Amino acid sequence: MSTETRELVKAMRERPVAARARSRGRLPSSPLEEFEQVYLRNVDVLMGYFARRCHDPQTVADLTSETFVRAVGGFAGFDPRRGSDRAWLFGIATRVFARYCEQSAGGKDAAARLGGYRPLDEDEIEELVERIDAERAGAALMRRCERLPAVERAAIELVDLEELTPKEAALALGVSRVAFRKRLSRARSRLRKEHHSDE
Amino acid sequence: MSKFTDHLWQDLVREHGPTLAHTDRPDPGRAGGAGVLRRPRVLAGSTLGLASVGAALVLALSGSAAPPAFAITTNGDGSVLVNINRLQSLPAANHKLTAMGIHEQVTIYMATGPAAVSGAVTCTPGPGAGQPRPPVKVLVGTDGTEVIGSGQSGGNTGEGTFHLARCTVAPDTDTGPGTGNTGNTGNTGTG
Repeated sequence: MSTETRELVKAMRERPVAARARSRGRLPSSPLEEFEQVYLRNVDVLMGYFARRCHDPQTVADLTSETFVRAVGGFAGFDPRRGSDRAWLFGIATRVFARYCEQSAGGKDAAARLGGYRPLDEDEIEELVERIDAERAGAALMRRCERLPAVERAAIELVDLEELTPKEAALALGVSRVAFRKRLSRARSRLRKEHHSDE
Repeated sequence: MSKFTDHLWQDLVREHGPTLAHTDRPDPGRAGGAGVLRRPRVLAGSTLGLASVGAALVLALSGSAAPPAFAITTNGDGSVLVNINRLQSLPAANHKLTAMGIHEQVTIYMATGPAAVSGAVTCTPGPGAGQPRPPVKVLVGTDGTEVIGSGQSGGNTGEGTFHLARCTVAPDTDTGPGTGNTGNTGNTGTG
C-alpha cells in the first residue's frame, strides 16, 4: 500500500462522526469517501431490514456487516446511473439473508454461517436490542404478510416499509418493472382482502 | 451514527480501505476524484467482439447509460478484477489482459437465475492449467446478476435473469498482438 493510500485510509477511519455527517450530500473526493456516503445513507435502513427478521443482536450485526463487506467487493461494478445505492444494497441484503436462511436450514451454527464477525460489546448489544424493538411494528406487518408468496412479501416490504420506489425495488429484486408492479398490486389487494375478512 | 455503525465503518475501512481507495468509479456525478487519488490501472473497452459464452448466450446487458463494455483493475494485492458489462466483450477483455502482460485467458460460464452471492467470482484453473498468476476474479454487471428484459437481448433469445456460475483461467498460448484470441474461450475474432 502506498503512503498516500495509507494516510487516506487512516484519516477516513479516524475522522470524527461530525465530519462524516457533514460529508453527506457533497460530491465525494475519492471512491472511499463515496462509499462512506453510501454507507451513511443506508446502514440504518439495512440494520432495520435485518432487525425485522432476526431477534438476535449479534445476527443482525453480522448480516449488516456481511452486506457491506459484499458491497465493498462489488463497488467497482456499481453504477449509480443504473439505479440508486439503496436498491443496489437491498439487492445484496436480500441475497445475504437468503443465504443465511439456507445455511441455517442446513444446520450450520451462527459462526460458521457468517464467517465470524467481531463480537459485540454490551453497549452495541443494547443499541441493537433497542433497534429490534423499534422494528416491532414492521415485523408485525411482515408477519401479516406471511401467507403471501415471498416475492409479494418482498414487494410490500421494500416499497411500503423501506420506501423504495417501485423501480428501485424491482432492481433490488432482479425483476422487470412491469412484473414488479403486478406483484405489488396483487400483494396489496390480498392484504386488503385479508384485512376485510378479519373485521 | 450509533456505536455499532461507527465500529462497523472503522472495521470496513481498516480491512477494505485500500481496496476501496483504488476502486475505479464512474465519473459522472463525482468531482475531483481522478485528480485526488492515484487511480488503478483501469482499461475501459468498447470493442464488441465475437463471443460464445457458456450455453451460447450472447447477451446485450441492460442499461441505457451504458458503462464501459469491460474494465480491468489491478488490485493492490496483485490480483486482477475483470468487470464485464457486456458479455460480447469477453474476447476484447482477454486481449487486453494479454496487452497488459497478463498471459491468462478467462472463460466464463453463465447460468440462469440470480446469483446466490453478490460480487465477483474467483476463477479456478482451467483444464490442465496451474494456479493462475496473478489470481483473477470476474464480476458480471454490477453485482453478479444481470436481468435481460424483453427487447434488451439484442435479438437473441437470452432473456431473463442470469449470473456467473463459474469462471476458469488458462495460460494464454498466443502472446502476439492482433493475432486473435485462440485461448479456451472458443472465440476466433480479434477483439
